[in-house]
Amino acid sequence: MDLLDRYLQAVKKHLPWKRQDDILAELRANLESQLEDKESELGRPLTRGEAEDWLREIGPPMQVAMRYQPQQYLIGPAVFPLYWFVLRLVFLWSMLIYLIVSAVQFFAAGAFSGTFVLEAVLRVPWVLMMATAWVTLIFAVLEFCLTHYPAKFREIAEKAGDGKPEFAWFPGLSANWSPSDLPAVEKEPENGKKPRSYAQAVAEVIFGFLFLVWLLLIPNYPFLLWGPGVLYLRVSPFQLAPVWIQFYWWMVALNVMQLAWRSVDLGRGTWQRRRVTEQMAMGAFGLIPLGILLAVPEHAYVALKHPALDQAQYGAAMASINQAIHWGFQVVFVIVVLQLAWEIAQMYLKVYRKREAAVR
Amino acid sequence: MTVSENLFENLRLELRRGCLALAVLAQLRQEHYGYTLRKALAERGLAIEESTLYPLLRRLESQGLLASEWREEDKRNKRFYRLSSDGERIFGQLLEEWQAINTSINSIL
Repeated sequence: MDLLDRYLQAVKKHLPWKRQDDILAELRANLESQLEDKESELGRPLTRGEAEDWLREIGPPMQVAMRYQPQQYLIGPAVFPLYWFVLRLVFLWSMLIYLIVSAVQFFAAGAFSGTFVLEAVLRVPWVLMMATAWVTLIFAVLEFCLTHYPAKFREIAEKAGDGKPEFAWFPGLSANWSPSDLPAVEKEPENGKKPRSYAQAVAEVIFGFLFLVWLLLIPNYPFLLWGPGVLYLRVSPFQLAPVWIQFYWWMVALNVMQLAWRSVDLGRGTWQRRRVTEQMAMGAFGLIPLGILLAVPEHAYVALKHPALDQAQYGAAMASINQAIHWGFQVVFVIVVLQLAWEIAQMYLKVYRKREAAVR
Repeated sequence: MTVSENLFENLRLELRRGCLALAVLAQLRQEHYGYTLRKALAERGLAIEESTLYPLLRRLESQGLLASEWREEDKRNKRFYRLSSDGERIFGQLLEEWQAINTSINSIL
């Protein structure tokens, strides 16, 4: 039957080449027997239409052939949880290392360069792709070894693990795990807030990084901060006083610190709740740049571009602006100090209550 | 196919997968070649597509549960399968397991 030969030829093209003749001979014998049965039931050969319907029922040649292929995974379900865990860690550390290296290069360059920052940001996807490619490659090799040489792999893993069974060296996957080694139950949120999810923690790191990039680009591209107001700054007789540069670098340092802290939390798997120490430290460091602004001699936040020419005309306006800014900062400073004091008091109260409860 | 239909189909296939292997092993206590095995199973109410059954036979054979040989019958070379000794032992264990599950499910229902 011409159609059956054509069908089997199409199936053959997708069969595993080592066994294709054997599989095809068996498939032919089975299908020819089936065809014989059908024809003897009808008492005549199948028409072309009936033969087409019959072959269509059996299935598309490629699909039939694919069923003979061994089931293969690049990374199988047994290894996937470990792969996913390692990939997340590698993502995090590669980003941290990249951030540090980029920062060192940025400062080593000596001068502000917006192009440098932009290029560094554009390289991020490439860094992440390379990290993914390497981790995936390593785990694909691991999967291959596990499926093709399970006994040999177990022997090597046991040697590497000092006689322990495979993966025994990895917490969470060891067959000899002990319930006593599990981490303590996480504290219930006392303020009714839900613990942060992993996605939220990752988003905080990513947006923290983007915010830092934005901050670093401001000296070269002031419109990122001022928007169209940058045109007014150019034509106005006023300019920002040098204290703002000091303030700016403090803000950069604060953001780097916060980003590093959050990244470490993410890497250690402790992102669920922000630690009180972190909140306190950030609050305390946040006071420093505010303090610097408040301590500016003569409250000089804004200065005249050409004092000799403009003092008479704009001197009074400048003094009013500086005074208003100073009052504003005083209010902000008081609010921040009160907030910090409130948090410290709450923390102290919690510790005190715990001690009391322990005594009872 | 709707989401619920798709979900049902996935669960149905999952449920059938293990049962098919058990049915094939049970039927191959007697020697069969692919087509007659398919017919025998269909006659007992378990219809299996060719594209599922024939690769399954290969897989069970590669796992050592079946033994096979090429032999001529009705002027045609056919590959005949039957349970191997390992296959008989494992089939016995699987049958016990299936009966236990069946009893449990019946008592739950």
